[in-house]
Amino acid sequence: MTAAPVSAFRKSISLSLLAATALTAAAPATIAPAFAQSQELNALVWCDHTDPELVQPFEEEHDVRVNLREYEGTAAGLAILEQSRPGDWDVLVIDAVDVGRAVDLGIMAALPADELPTGDFFPELVMEDLNTRDGTTYAVTEKFGYNTIAYNKAAVDPADMTNFETLFSGKYDGRIAIYDYYLPVLGMLSLSEGIDTGDLDAEALETLREPLFDLRARSSQVSEVVASQTALATGEVDILVGGGEWLTAVLASENADLDWTIPEQGGVLWAQSIGVLESSENKDLATEFVKYIVSPEGQARLATSSCYWGMPANAAAGDVLTDEEKTVLRWDDQPDFLTRVQRYPVPDAELDTAMQDLWTDMLQQ
Amino acid sequence: MTRAFAWIYLAVALGFIFLPVGMLVLFSFQDGRLPVPPFNGPSLRWYADVLGDRRLMSALGNSLIVAAVSSAIALLLGFLAAQALARYRLPGTLLMRVVLIAPFTVSYLIIALGLLTLYNRTGIGLSLWTAGVGHVVINLPLCFAILYAAIGDHHRNAERAARDLGASEVKVLALVTAPMLMPSMLAAFFLSFTFSWDEFIIAFLLTRFDVTLPVEIWSLLRSGLTPRANAVGSLVFLVSVSLLLLLELTVFRKVRR
Amino acid sequence: MARAHDNRQGWGLVAPALIWTTAFFVVPFLMMLALSFAKMEGRSVVTGFFPDNYIRIFTEPSLLRGLVVSLEITVTVTVISMVLAYPLAWIIAFRVPERWQRLVLILTILPFWTSYVVRSYSWLLVLGQNGVINKTLMTLGVISEPISMSASRFATVTGFVHFFVMLLTLTIYANLKELSPNYARAAQDLGAGRLATFRHVILPLTLPGLMTGAFLTLVLCIGDYITPQILGGNNELTLPQLIMMQLGRRGDFPMASAMAVVLMGIVTLAYLFSARWLRIDRL
Repeated sequence: MTAAPVSAFRKSISLSLLAATALTAAAPATIAPAFAQSQELNALVWCDHTDPELVQPFEEEHDVRVNLREYEGTAAGLAILEQSRPGDWDVLVIDAVDVGRAVDLGIMAALPADELPTGDFFPELVMEDLNTRDGTTYAVTEKFGYNTIAYNKAAVDPADMTNFETLFSGKYDGRIAIYDYYLPVLGMLSLSEGIDTGDLDAEALETLREPLFDLRARSSQVSEVVASQTALATGEVDILVGGGEWLTAVLASENADLDWTIPEQGGVLWAQSIGVLESSENKDLATEFVKYIVSPEGQARLATSSCYWGMPANAAAGDVLTDEEKTVLRWDDQPDFLTRVQRYPVPDAELDTAMQDLWTDMLQQ
Repeated sequence: MTRAFAWIYLAVALGFIFLPVGMLVLFSFQDGRLPVPPFNGPSLRWYADVLGDRRLMSALGNSLIVAAVSSAIALLLGFLAAQALARYRLPGTLLMRVVLIAPFTVSYLIIALGLLTLYNRTGIGLSLWTAGVGHVVINLPLCFAILYAAIGDHHRNAERAARDLGASEVKVLALVTAPMLMPSMLAAFFLSFTFSWDEFIIAFLLTRFDVTLPVEIWSLLRSGLTPRANAVGSLVFLVSVSLLLLLELTVFRKVRR
Repeated sequence: MARAHDNRQGWGLVAPALIWTTAFFVVPFLMMLALSFAKMEGRSVVTGFFPDNYIRIFTEPSLLRGLVVSLEITVTVTVISMVLAYPLAWIIAFRVPERWQRLVLILTILPFWTSYVVRSYSWLLVLGQNGVINKTLMTLGVISEPISMSASRFATVTGFVHFFVMLLTLTIYANLKELSPNYARAAQDLGAGRLATFRHVILPLTLPGLMTGAFLTLVLCIGDYITPQILGGNNELTLPQLIMMQLGRRGDFPMASAMAVVLMGIVTLAYLFSARWLRIDRL
């Protein structure tokens, strides 16, 4: 190695000199000087919470720095929490259907139910059965939406999209993308097979294998949020299975042809909850943060945050959101939508593993 | 190879190499929310947006600090080790060289996972510095190798002369050896700096809140399609390149003479 | 020279680097190795000596496929990059006039300094359905319908090749410049044709550099997560993607560790295979 790479490196050393000196000199200036706050709050969240417009008002009001870390699936989030020391985390955002798993682990702290504005919530979104255990409230729903079918109506017949079966007809082969999250997509398939998402068990899961693989064969990609957006926006694909307003709303101003619908088989309701962690050493402030998030102002900012949009659980946010924002969110259609959707499947650890295995098989097909 | 073919090949190769960067920079000026054709005309809004983004700017600061500190440590450790193995006949020299070089031949992902296991087992909380430790691990072999190759006999004679004149070992290293190796030291430092500065997977797995720029860019990419990513990428690129050219024209022109 | 006193100083100088590498590289690797023999039961890690993870990697089709996909991509990328980079380095070294060589070389590897994460992303802009390539071809009338290029292995390989052509051009160029032109001249004086000169003289002389470059390519390529993640469209998963999936979605550290150990095994095998050409151990 003396010869080739090192001498190559050395010949290119000038190239490596790069930004270093000047950037180092510039460093002190760029290190945000504003973080002299006395307190910190550590939150394990989804990407929509990382929008500065959402967090900054709270930070200024309470003179606190809110540290945010994103995570992907519940299993990974719980793994992060398990490997932390007490006091590492104060606030957790989690799939509403998984609040129970967190409560089982004893990591959620009780919330003062009487201080939460659940009276103003869309009734379906209070989700007491999920957020509450034995009369104690451990989390509160903050945002929701649907995993259904998003499509480009300039390239697709909207009438076709009202029936999930059309996707299997061959008409749109190669123009479909699948959203890369196993729970909602398996939920949608389960609905199309006539199985309620709540009844999905190991046995029922096997019946989804064939339609899932079939759908996969008809799709050109399985992609995360950004790749899905890119694919839809650029015409790479015309249909996104698992998409919904969370995906199209951000792009609405750019491409008015992007639309979504709930097919007659139904769609999957996603909902995220927020709560305080038992190991937090700053529960009061953490509770204040939760209260801020579910306040009408916090809810409006969360609904339209930069990562993805979604309906606020608190209907009072409707007074804060603009009419345009409400149109994009389809505010007025919500009562109808809510009657046509089912919640995420709630797998136990074993079923969750089986679902992920099935998903990996599908990706590697 | 005929002359014409050679030039055509060169042109096509350069085209291939510059195509993605060209698109990146072009669509950073996109006047619209999507960095894809058609190009709607020039706008600087995404640059303003990026420069005013608190998270990106603090990630930039973090990256610079980690890169500077971890490269400095890697350089110091690498320099001492190179000096030791080049100057002293220690038993097991070959084994030591293999151990010191080993991290260089391993994927960053493996180094990151190993450190993550270590931190989890010992209860060390993740921070910017836990990632910095990983960056020292990857850059130490590089610094060691560059300096080890650079140490020659004429250095040894100068050192001996200094010792004979009564200089302590520390003084010899700091005042004689290090200055003589300065071009290689600089090279090792800046190469390490660039590696650390642009490193993703170690920083991604081993930081918590204070992330580095590549990690922040990654979450920017994951959270939505936006010309902001183009603007950040172009900025990093343009700054790097202008400094590079500046240094090429000043420092290295001299060194080569 | 080898006096005991001197040696003590030597040990003192090398100790910090050795301790650092041991504490933060060797020990962590051993801990990861130990963890790879643990297994998950429900949500908790059961430590012990279970070969379960390894058995799964080599028997479960989706995981084994990851291994195969990684190997296929890496070999493809390494071969294509070398085939493309060698003539490029050759042209720069022997066709471009001496005084322009440095400039051309710098130009060739300039995009190296694009942010690594952004580099893959920018290929999306090029290869997409509405990307430059499709737009250009359609304007020229070469094609009427856009060709699907992104979200595929083709895109992943293109992204990788782009990076490694730059790296390899640099290493091969350095290697060619070290050759004394006398070798080639001598061979030609002895009556060897150009091709024969290349095959029997130049290629063997540049082989160590080539192999070192290939080995570097392999190590960097097979362990990369970003490029296939951004460009592959999840149409197939590489080993690093599977590892990140264990961490990011399942929280299954033992399985991730086992996969990393397998990855390490592949790199070691590649090293042993190419060791006789490599000069890494001769440092």
